[in-house]
Amino acid sequence: MVVDRRADFEASLTRTAELRGDQAGGALQRASLLRDAVHRFLKNRAAVAGAIAFLIMVVFVTITPWLSPHDPYAIDFGKAYLRPSWDHPFGTDDFGRDLFIRTALGGRVSILIGFAATVAIMLVGILYGSLSGFAGGALDNGMMRFLDALYGLPYLPFAILTLAIFGTVNFWTMVVALTVASWFTTARVMRGQIITLKENDYVRAANALGARWYRILFRHLLPNTLGVILIFVFLELPGVILGEAFLSFIGLGISAPKASWGTLAQEGYSSYLAYPYIIIIPSLCIGWLILSAFFVADGLRDALDPRSQEA
Amino acid sequence: MALLEVEDLRTYFKTREGEVRAVDGVSFSLEHSKMLGIVGESGCGKSVTVLSIMGLVQTPGRVVGGSAVFQGRDLVQLKGRELEDVRGHEIGMIFQDPMTSLNPTLTIGTQLTETLRRHLGMNKDQARKRAVELLEEVHIPNAARRLDDYPHRYSGGMRQRVMIAIAISCNPKLLIADEPTTALDVTVQAGVLDLLHELRSIHEMGVIIITHDMGVVAETADDIIVMYAGQIVEQATALDLFDRPEHPYTEALLEALPQVEGEGIREGRLRSISGRPPDLLDPPPACRFAPRCAYAGQDDCATVPPDLREIRPGHWVRSSHPTSERAAAPVGAR
Amino acid sequence: MLKFIIRRVAWTIPVILLVIFMTFLMMRQIKGNPFQVTERAVNEATQRTLDRKFHLDQPWYIQYAYYVKGVFTANLGPSLVQRDRDVNDVIKDHFPVSLKLGGLAMLWAVLVGIPLGIIAALKQNTKLDYAVMAVVNAGYALPNFLIATVLIYLFAVKWREHTPFPTNGWGGWETWVLPAAALGHAPMTFFARIVRGSMLETLQQDYIRTAKAKGLRWRRVVGLHVLRNSLIPAVTAAAPLLGFLITGSFIVEFVFGIPGIGRYFVNSVTARDYSVTMGITILLSMIIIFANLLVDILYGYLDPRTRDVRT
Repeated sequence: MVVDRRADFEASLTRTAELRGDQAGGALQRASLLRDAVHRFLKNRAAVAGAIAFLIMVVFVTITPWLSPHDPYAIDFGKAYLRPSWDHPFGTDDFGRDLFIRTALGGRVSILIGFAATVAIMLVGILYGSLSGFAGGALDNGMMRFLDALYGLPYLPFAILTLAIFGTVNFWTMVVALTVASWFTTARVMRGQIITLKENDYVRAANALGARWYRILFRHLLPNTLGVILIFVFLELPGVILGEAFLSFIGLGISAPKASWGTLAQEGYSSYLAYPYIIIIPSLCIGWLILSAFFVADGLRDALDPRSQEA
Repeated sequence: MALLEVEDLRTYFKTREGEVRAVDGVSFSLEHSKMLGIVGESGCGKSVTVLSIMGLVQTPGRVVGGSAVFQGRDLVQLKGRELEDVRGHEIGMIFQDPMTSLNPTLTIGTQLTETLRRHLGMNKDQARKRAVELLEEVHIPNAARRLDDYPHRYSGGMRQRVMIAIAISCNPKLLIADEPTTALDVTVQAGVLDLLHELRSIHEMGVIIITHDMGVVAETADDIIVMYAGQIVEQATALDLFDRPEHPYTEALLEALPQVEGEGIREGRLRSISGRPPDLLDPPPACRFAPRCAYAGQDDCATVPPDLREIRPGHWVRSSHPTSERAAAPVGAR
Repeated sequence: MLKFIIRRVAWTIPVILLVIFMTFLMMRQIKGNPFQVTERAVNEATQRTLDRKFHLDQPWYIQYAYYVKGVFTANLGPSLVQRDRDVNDVIKDHFPVSLKLGGLAMLWAVLVGIPLGIIAALKQNTKLDYAVMAVVNAGYALPNFLIATVLIYLFAVKWREHTPFPTNGWGGWETWVLPAAALGHAPMTFFARIVRGSMLETLQQDYIRTAKAKGLRWRRVVGLHVLRNSLIPAVTAAAPLLGFLITGSFIVEFVFGIPGIGRYFVNSVTARDYSVTMGITILLSMIIIFANLLVDILYGYLDPRTRDVRT
């Protein structure tokens, strides 16, 4: 489990919401706000480096399988445990399969699961959080109590339980398992955002003018949370990818011959004394992705919060 | 000898865009038990001036020149530890926002007694006893009981009183108040100001009070300095300044002050000052007020910087067009 | 303060009930009757006796009530797979190991992470700061199965002549060091990061300027005024971290072959020993709930503002 960094973002995001509220009036202002944010993001070297690193990894896992001459599933014991070379940049595994292409394919699985689970987490969290924040009153109170109760629960045991309920591990059950106990923070932050934005004059004005509730929610509130949602995508992604890797590593991953980075690391673990590169390479890929997502999230936060500029 | 003698003080901030001369050659002196008001818009360098004297300027700011001699010692040259011995002991300071100036996680008692213990070497019990007296002195009811409360239980006005109690706890010779009433409700402001005056006469302190509000210093300050864009533009006794302001900026400030009663109430609307304070990254080359001045443009004051000169005994002004030298109202004046 | 604590403690009871309920619900989804699918298959007469004995002939809410009673009387029922063993036995055997491992890891995280964060903040934008943050960022991103493997590879294999650490097992102190470091590494980097960030923010606060204006020694300004405020976020983060230390130990226990509860949890899932799975899940959740409780009380102590408003 990746250490939860989402909570530290709460305060600054609420502040950002207040600021955005002040300025969120017309579409024109919103556009210039967006331009400022993009400008600030591009000036942040760490964030840009993170974004580029992230893209490089995505490109790598996307195009490598098309370009590589090797068959990722062809077993050839004569080529087992070849060290990294020109022909096999990442070496081969115990079955003689090329690890370069297998790492790329594993990355596809990891990243796709990561994105799918992140989207699921965002959907549940946004739905729950904005409903709670928008409704207010007793419903909000009850829903928050429920969240408080669940807050901090370790998500891995619940993910494992979920997989046990399904009885099989495939792409979708993995996504559900990773979502089940991971959406609490998103919901809390979304509620905070909605509540802060709701206090703004333009929402009050819309209310006073008799706008329907769904118009206020979808037209005035949710569009103003897009930035935060974007940040959260990059905050959730590392946790989800790492969670999947952990599950795969302890043998609860997607079944062979398909593999994710976690599965590859597990395979490498059995022979790490003699062939450490087999575990190191997929682990570094995970680290690469997590770190780049982390810098992107940081950069996005700073870009959207004009006050958090550091010298 | 004066209590505090500031000479050509310069504090610059190095930023990515360039060097900001927040305080650019400020000189003044303060006698024992006198009260000096420093007036100006926000960003004119009045706060940075006193923070420089206290050695509290934060990076990227730095005092790059000048001196501030307090009781024979130049505070600018003092080492960190020596300065620490002066701060809070011989010079007390209170700040603008009492809501954020007290540590939210420590009791009022702790924050009050730590100064006493640090500078006067009191033990715990002595310090507590003295702390109660101090809270009573700043008119906090139930002082003994409220010592163990945390700041969030105090209202804004009460917190500022606590700040004052901390500042005067070691009987300083000089009290610096940086916008002490700005963040307070109007109804509370007068009380805090009265308290400051009361304590000043009891403790015989020199006081520097910084404000953007002429009204705050009008009745009580002995001398007044008007600052603009990092420089002093006018300096005089309070009476003279209010009676016969010389600098066009001071005039404008006074015109912007609402009057409720008294002789010679101005007719009509309040005046605002047109334009904005200059960008200190790239200040006007000569007179910094020239771009906003109604009298500029008739001579070379926009190219040759005017000096701070004594226009009559005790009244200094930095302008080519002081009121008393103006022949007549300029053509097309406001 | 006392009122605050009492209210806070009372609040944990419905939370525990809710968590048990959710786990209970999840477990019921796995299959109807545990005795029909496990290796302990029995004939019909015995089945009925067993059903009666374990109240399985009762409706679900009665079962739930019995289970809650079991939790509060510390009797979690028998293991479904291992003959003659109760869930209690399993926990008694394996939990202390995990607790010790988690405690040591937490100790490592606090003792190393907090000072690192403080140093980095006080030396902001110096080479020291950059070096610390580089290590912290790398450590944050790398999955702990890699860190565990690398630690073993270096200390227990490559330099084994010079170090007393074995590659796996659980016994004397020398067997604790590597697992605790591997498990504590991520929270350590987390503490370092969060303490650095909040210290930098605290140093900018008005009340720190006040403390300086009072002429306090720098030591006291940092040691009391800055530290007290900047440790609050670290304390808040400690409860989810405890969850991390217990659930994250799945991996570390797996890699180091430590007979802890995390490893046993995974085993119970694969062996379909559901009563054990459920017992451990509830145990872990209760630990998190109590950690949250502890943190809230500690928080109330550190930040007096919360005492007056929070429940």
